Amino acid sequence: MTHSLEGHHSVEQSARLIRNYRYAAERMTRLLGGWLALTPEVSAKLLMGRHVWDNAQHADLFGRRLPELRAPAQVSEPSGPAFVAFMEALESPDTPELTVERLVGVYRVLKPHLLAVYEQHLGAANAVYEPPTCRILARCIEDERRHVAAGETVLGHLLAAGGLYDRAVAWQRRLEELLAAAGGVTGEGLPPVAPRSTVPEGEGSGEAREFIRLETAGSPWALPDDLRAAVQAFGDALVNGEAGALDRWIAPSARSGQAMDPALAGVRLSDHRVVAVARLGAKRIVKLRAGGPSASVTLALRWMPDPDGWRLESIEIARAHVASPA
Amino acid sequence: MDRPVAYDKLAREERVVRMRARDVAEAKIEQGLPPFPDLRSRESIRARVHGIMVGEMQAMEGAGRSVYDFPDAPWEFTMDMARQVWDESRHLEIYLRLIEHLGGYPGEYPETTILWRCACAEDAAARVAGVNRGLEGLACDVFNQLVHIARKIGDPVLERSVDFVLADEITHVRMGSKWLTRLTEGDPERRRRAIEFQDTIDERFNLGGVRRDGDHEEVLISIATEARRLGGFTGEEIERLIKTTQRSQVY
Repeated sequence: MTHSLEGHHSVEQSARLIRNYRYAAERMTRLLGGWLALTPEVSAKLLMGRHVWDNAQHADLFGRRLPELRAPAQVSEPSGPAFVAFMEALESPDTPELTVERLVGVYRVLKPHLLAVYEQHLGAANAVYEPPTCRILARCIEDERRHVAAGETVLGHLLAAGGLYDRAVAWQRRLEELLAAAGGVTGEGLPPVAPRSTVPEGEGSGEAREFIRLETAGSPWALPDDLRAAVQAFGDALVNGEAGALDRWIAPSARSGQAMDPALAGVRLSDHRVVAVARLGAKRIVKLRAGGPSASVTLALRWMPDPDGWRLESIEIARAHVASPA
Repeated sequence: MDRPVAYDKLAREERVVRMRARDVAEAKIEQGLPPFPDLRSRESIRARVHGIMVGEMQAMEGAGRSVYDFPDAPWEFTMDMARQVWDESRHLEIYLRLIEHLGGYPGEYPETTILWRCACAEDAAARVAGVNRGLEGLACDVFNQLVHIARKIGDPVLERSVDFVLADEITHVRMGSKWLTRLTEGDPERRRRAIEFQDTIDERFNLGGVRRDGDHEEVLISIATEARRLGGFTGEEIERLIKTTQRSQVY
């Protein structure tokens, strides 16, 4: 039987581990904050926005503990260059279409690892002389469990869009390799991470489901029937390549300067759908996405009511993607 | 990651239509409408709430950028900005729910990025002066008035939720007042530049005479004197703001 005053870590080791944890928590705080503006999906924005503050509090709690361990306050220290390299890689997906990679890095790799490390540390800490550290770890463990569950819920929603699963798996594998090469946040190796299915659903996933509902809910487009018919006819003419039919919808005052982007000339489109409708007084801006085997284009169409029906006041290409020839 | 993020790089869902603020205002004036939604009908309240929702999203993103962009600022500064991210994320959720409550949908009105453009100062002191005192001060004005209108039309959901958001915004203004002072201690030139930046934002959001000192029901945006005082604005600063609104050209 071990003595109640036996300990696993020295004061100095404990301070070093806490500086390592603080490095991860601080960097995660900053990168989640930085990603908010670069992430389009509202569910992911709300998720990360909620967790920035929790992570900052973790970093702060670790930083305040340090002087109690004869170390300077609020200092972060990576375990080594390999962990810095892991964090650099984790931060690297910063374009809008890489939300899944951002969430995988934080919610499937870093946070589950931190959760496992904190649990291992808490299990090994001395209950008589380390309660100040234990209380901090317990708080962080509770938050990380909630965050992982919430992140998993939002990821499940985003991955359901299709075609992203393989990307998510490949990115997770890449980051896990880098994390293993670093020996984890402490440089001392990776404690086993609980499988995702064993992470209990809790407050975090309920909140995340609400974020998803807010992203996907909404009244039907405020599109009057006659405008709906005009948009449908315009879209059909676009897909069928009927330039004359397109002209029919363009207001005479707006005919000049409405040429379609030359890059899209000759591109075959097969379907179209409305993806946004905004009011501008009596006018409506309708975003119409048309797609085909090798291209997609989103047009912002500004419609104005006219005695003869709805007419297009302006057409802008909001987004275009043409696949390069193989 | 780039520092700072340009306004046209803000990531948005496809359901969002983005326009320049000037183009939106011109299109409305051309149709005989006020450039900024008044609060005289449920639809105009919905339009105002939609604009606020967009502002809260940009505020969350802006506070997040302040967490990321200034790693060398004092840690307490980062903590305040991280706290603000959390607050703004709840505000975004509140306004998304209020849009539902009012029968609208996100994307019903175009998004403009004028707030974001004001939030991209490269100096931390200028950014907190511009965002936390200029823009969050504007938020105090708008929310204070919305609480009053909600009470008048008998909408307790709108009244109570916006009043809690207003309380948070006053806290954010207070943070701005604190960090403007602390970050420019011993550097009067930096302070002067930060205040100058805030002044340009205040001037821009006087919206050509739309924001004024006056009764909630008489002016489109009324200056929230008491809320501003709670946020750390001095009486002299409030007076100065009121004077600049009198100088601004009315649409």
